[in-house]
Amino acid sequence: MKTALALRMKGAGYLGEWQLALPLTLAFASLFLAPLLLLFGVSFFNDDKLTEPGLAQWGKFFGDPFNYKVIADTLLLGVKTVAATVLVGYPLALVFIDLSARLQRVLLFVIVMPLLLSVVVRTFAWIVVLGHEGLINTLLLRLGLIGEPLKLLQTELGLVISLTQIEMPLMLLPLISVMSRLEPNLRDAAAALGASRWRTLFTVIVPLSMPGLVAGCLLVFASSTTAFISQTVIGGVRLIYLPLVIWQQSLVVFNWPLAAVASMALLVSILTVVAALSYLGRRASGAIHG
Amino acid sequence: MFTRRRVLAGATALGGAALLPTIAAAKGGLTAAIYPGTWEDAYRAIVIPALKKTYDVDLELQPLFAVDEVAKAKAARGAPPFDCFVLDPGPRITAIEAGLFEKFDGKKLSNASKVPSAFIDEWGICVGAQVVGIAYNPKKLPAPKGWKDLLTDPWVSRLGITGFQTTFGTVSLIEIAKQFGGSETNIDPALVELKKVLPKIAAVGQPAAMPGLFQQGQCDVMYTNTQTVATLKGKGVDIEFVKPESGAVAFYTTLHIAKGSDAIDNAYKYFDTVVSTPVQEALTKPPYNFLPANKDVPIPPDLPMKSLDEMSTYVLHDWAKINPLRAGWIEKFNKEMAK
Amino acid sequence: MARRRSFGDISYGIVIGGLALLALVIIVTPVVVVLLMSFGEGQSLKFPPTGFTFRWYAELFDASQSRQIHRAAGNSLEVAALSTLFGAVLGAMGALGLARSRSRMARAADSFFLSPLVLPGIAFGLAALMYFTLVGLRPSLGLIIAGHMIVTVPFIVRTTAASLSQLDPALNDSSQSLGASWFYTLRRVTLPLIAPGIAAGAFLAFMSSIDNVPVSLFLSTARTDMLPIRMWGMMESSLDVRIAAISGVLIAAAFLLMLFMEWTVGLTRRMRE
Repeated sequence: MKTALALRMKGAGYLGEWQLALPLTLAFASLFLAPLLLLFGVSFFNDDKLTEPGLAQWGKFFGDPFNYKVIADTLLLGVKTVAATVLVGYPLALVFIDLSARLQRVLLFVIVMPLLLSVVVRTFAWIVVLGHEGLINTLLLRLGLIGEPLKLLQTELGLVISLTQIEMPLMLLPLISVMSRLEPNLRDAAAALGASRWRTLFTVIVPLSMPGLVAGCLLVFASSTTAFISQTVIGGVRLIYLPLVIWQQSLVVFNWPLAAVASMALLVSILTVVAALSYLGRRASGAIHG
Repeated sequence: MFTRRRVLAGATALGGAALLPTIAAAKGGLTAAIYPGTWEDAYRAIVIPALKKTYDVDLELQPLFAVDEVAKAKAARGAPPFDCFVLDPGPRITAIEAGLFEKFDGKKLSNASKVPSAFIDEWGICVGAQVVGIAYNPKKLPAPKGWKDLLTDPWVSRLGITGFQTTFGTVSLIEIAKQFGGSETNIDPALVELKKVLPKIAAVGQPAAMPGLFQQGQCDVMYTNTQTVATLKGKGVDIEFVKPESGAVAFYTTLHIAKGSDAIDNAYKYFDTVVSTPVQEALTKPPYNFLPANKDVPIPPDLPMKSLDEMSTYVLHDWAKINPLRAGWIEKFNKEMAK
Repeated sequence: MARRRSFGDISYGIVIGGLALLALVIIVTPVVVVLLMSFGEGQSLKFPPTGFTFRWYAELFDASQSRQIHRAAGNSLEVAALSTLFGAVLGAMGALGLARSRSRMARAADSFFLSPLVLPGIAFGLAALMYFTLVGLRPSLGLIIAGHMIVTVPFIVRTTAASLSQLDPALNDSSQSLGASWFYTLRRVTLPLIAPGIAAGAFLAFMSSIDNVPVSLFLSTARTDMLPIRMWGMMESSLDVRIAAISGVLIAAAFLLMLFMEWTVGLTRRMRE
């Protein structure tokens, strides 16, 4: 029965008719793809005045081993941030779905709070929290847990902590919108069958919330790898990620071809990870409904 | 022109009325880029009313940093997003090379004679100067004497540095290099010395973050310009300026007309108003503390120089030599400082 | 058997509860820091603040002292509202269109619609300005709205798609096999079910537009000053306390919105009873 339905679904006439995506596709073609192609075109000039076509900047960027390290560090930063956000965000989502409707609204307000702080003050607040004379250091010093201030600001650890805060709504909103529509009966049924709560979590809840989790991971990954302001203000400029290189090349030395090459490198490397993630996500959700 | 208009019409039809461009400034209008912060506050308070009163020109200011101005103008080739630039020496040279300026004729200014002749050239007019030296927190550290001190205790473990992205960062690193045998075309000694003490340095920061890092005690000594020190001090931050033994660095701030501007006459009126005696006098007073560009204006006692002639006692750099090297320096700084 | 399960339940409670609490601490701490600073008596952003004053809020709302901020805030709100509106319509339609298609084209389009999130804002802003100039358009509010829509619509597409992928396909199918029209099914069955996803994406899009620096930097003009750019200037040049107060206002507005929703939801529930 289900296969028959699925078969019919694959034919024409299903709700998700692809024509619905046309307006967005058109908007993207004219407002995003065209500038992107222009940028791609710019990368094929040797000089910053865009007079001499050539592959010099591609050679320069990919001929320098330092840039591979920068790309790897950038992707790794995204992975670390995603891991940290899932580690603390997923439990918060679990707590969320068990609350009453009223408490859910209060918690939702708390969850979106990071978005209400402008990046400008948010980074300053993290200087206050992580700094040499910051909240964490003052607290630990007073408690006698450390002898001298820890270095948190301008380290990758501090950067990941601060990114976790701003990325949390990006993880939690898709996760919650998917999770809150899970059948509560499912969990009760699992419990009635004698499954422990851990078992229920990993065999029932996590697989069913996979679409939300994947969406959250994608958003967090994409947004943390390109978070230029947090990366440079909180991480400092000794931690070098691609957005810093792009900023230096485009806005300080005006070498736009090189900035374009670096942008393409970032775009392609992140999209590769994203495509892999969404493929896994599709498989996971396909396993549920398929 | 014809094709462009057709494309425009097509795009407008496609994108709907919301995409309609705002075409050209109204008559009697002028848009000028200005540095955010003190510059914008001062120009809004003093220059806008003066220009309106004298010439009936409405000035719109757009807060932008020098590099952002050049990037925008370069990207919007031939259709300048504003009529006038305000720039530091480095971006100024980039803009000249990219052909972003209209030629400038100083003789068209009625106040030209009141401005030191070296302040006017074929590309624009100098309306102020910035002085760069060392800033420190007097409650936490003794005053350093010069650039070399920054790399020794007790200062080095409280030092916050920035790279070559900004004009003040670049000139400071050049001065540090000079203390160790470098020059304005050889900054390697600075990087070598910095690398030796790198684990001790308190912060290697994004220029925009430095005031915040300083205020919250992440670093207690840094290089910066006198205007930042004056502003922060006025806001109750514990900060003092030190003129290094080898001399503080000065660089000029200049105004220019954007190539393709349709308000060139108004731009001249704007420049003329900026350098006029009453405006320059108002700009030297607190909280603005500008160095005057007008010979008739006396310099108030609390500014770092007594008269404009003193400018020659400051360390000046040749940006025509520095600019082509800067891209390489930035790359080197990244690699040497990277964790 | 029973004892083992209860041990598992206790460890579950401790671990999940502890991590959730850690998440809350990470979320809330910077917000509290900013709110406390916004009431500080000092002349510059500082923590811990000294004294308590509403002065910065008063200055922020004062038309003569903060005229530029008001103008920028007005522009930013207008841009965020319109770009989110267009983005919600186009983004939800796009997600619906691609939802069940397993073709390679659809999968490529899926990544494509996410890519503005991945291209650094500076690169997009620069390229967009070059491109618009090339086709003869000059920076304006309309262009900023278009640019913001492009960089924020991925949030809407992604969250809507996540909601959609969870819909039981049988639901639509049964609706249609019962003779309901395609549009009726969309309106009465699908949309209500994916509304939370669209709303979540729209909220993310709206806030990320309000906070967007790079696209605004390149596409704004002297007349279309934008809030976050103005705030950067205030931060870098003078550590102006009003930027903390702006965040305070946004948080208060969101809090009032939540109360309002609480009230209306409570009201409708009571009316139904």
